[in-house]
Amino acid sequence: MGNSDQALIRAVLAGNKDAYGVLVERHGESMFRVAFRITENEADAQEIAQETFLRGYRSLAEFDARADFRTWIYRIAVNCALQLLKKRKCEAAVPISEEFDEEHAGIQLADGGAGPERLLLDREIEHRRHAAMEKMTEDERLAFVLRHLEGRSTEEIAAALDVTPNTAKQSVFRAVQKMRRSLAPLWVKS
Amino acid sequence: MSHLTDEQLIEHYFCEGANRVVVETHLRICSRCEQVYEEISNVLAVRAPEPPAREPGYGRRLWQSIHAPLRPYPTAKRRYFSWPRLVLASACLAGLAAAFLFGALWQRSRIRPSAAAISPQGKERVVLLILNDHLDRSERLLVELNHAGAEPGSLDASLQSEARQLLPDNRIYRQAVSANHDPIMSAALDHLERVLLEVANSPDKLNSADIARIEREMNTDSLLFQIRVLRARTSRQEPQVEPSQIKPFRKGSSI
Repeated sequence: MGNSDQALIRAVLAGNKDAYGVLVERHGESMFRVAFRITENEADAQEIAQETFLRGYRSLAEFDARADFRTWIYRIAVNCALQLLKKRKCEAAVPISEEFDEEHAGIQLADGGAGPERLLLDREIEHRRHAAMEKMTEDERLAFVLRHLEGRSTEEIAAALDVTPNTAKQSVFRAVQKMRRSLAPLWVKS
Repeated sequence: MSHLTDEQLIEHYFCEGANRVVVETHLRICSRCEQVYEEISNVLAVRAPEPPAREPGYGRRLWQSIHAPLRPYPTAKRRYFSWPRLVLASACLAGLAAAFLFGALWQRSRIRPSAAAISPQGKERVVLLILNDHLDRSERLLVELNHAGAEPGSLDASLQSEARQLLPDNRIYRQAVSANHDPIMSAALDHLERVLLEVANSPDKLNSADIARIEREMNTDSLLFQIRVLRARTSRQEPQVEPSQIKPFRKGSSI
């Protein structure tokens, strides 16, 4: 049995369930990473990773053998994340400030010193960034993450969201504008 | 000077947009657009926290957490009842049916012209078939003629009518048989033609004396014997065919 994704998929469809385990081991971490970037929550990202591979297994018979498995499972992960975001939005009884995870509040602003003022500013920036992300619609958030953090092209984003490239581009644009509105006062202050 | 839109600047930041050189040049000369672009760059420089690193063996643990409810794919069922296979099988069946139909039509189209152009053997069989029928009718006419000569009274008009019908056919058959180099049959048909001429061209009502004269002068007994012999001969040569296969012979048609 070959060890390529295609060979493993053939083995799974031939009744070898464990071959799917190799695929999960191979792509599990990257799916967790994209899920985390979208949700910014470790538990949610873990849940999405599990759900992604469960759905992937059940839909494997429909997988086009000529396609790339990584792209295919990535799209499932994005859809799972989108559904989770919608679910979280519906459950929005919890205020945004309480959802904020201070453990991951470190931001990557290039700065040599780390004095108390700087730490305060970093915290404020992260708080506003997080608030801006929460203000985005699910599509805007996904488009922004895929474009800005995952480095995906407009066409890939459009395919993942099942929209036209122009709609995907507009989603990115609106997301950046929301981020600008949220963070602009800080630049003026600083 | 018109300024660049926010959309153009955001596209430029993500290395998209058709006129990258134009935007680049504009940013060098327009301080306002340069300021907006810097603001966008600053905003986008704020990165979300990186995903926490996963411990080694994360993928294996992920698999262990989900593998229990998954059932192996049933291979046989999928192999025989998957849609692509069904579509392929249907296409093959349709192709087979089309090939069969085409073959049947092609064969029929080949048979038709060959049937139209009858082979010499086939033509001969048709002649024998029709000739046998003609000899049969002639034999019945001669038998009736002999009976009429033996009984007093006038001849039935239907006998003369039959003789008039047989006469043109007999002439055609005689010519055909002459061409086919069959002297015995040709002589018999020639003899028959003279008898038919006599009966057909006689006055409307032949009496028994006239019939007796014809029998005597034309030796119809001998002719009847010859006809019977020839009919027996043509029956032997004739192929065994179903009556439904025989087409009615049209008067005046050439053989």
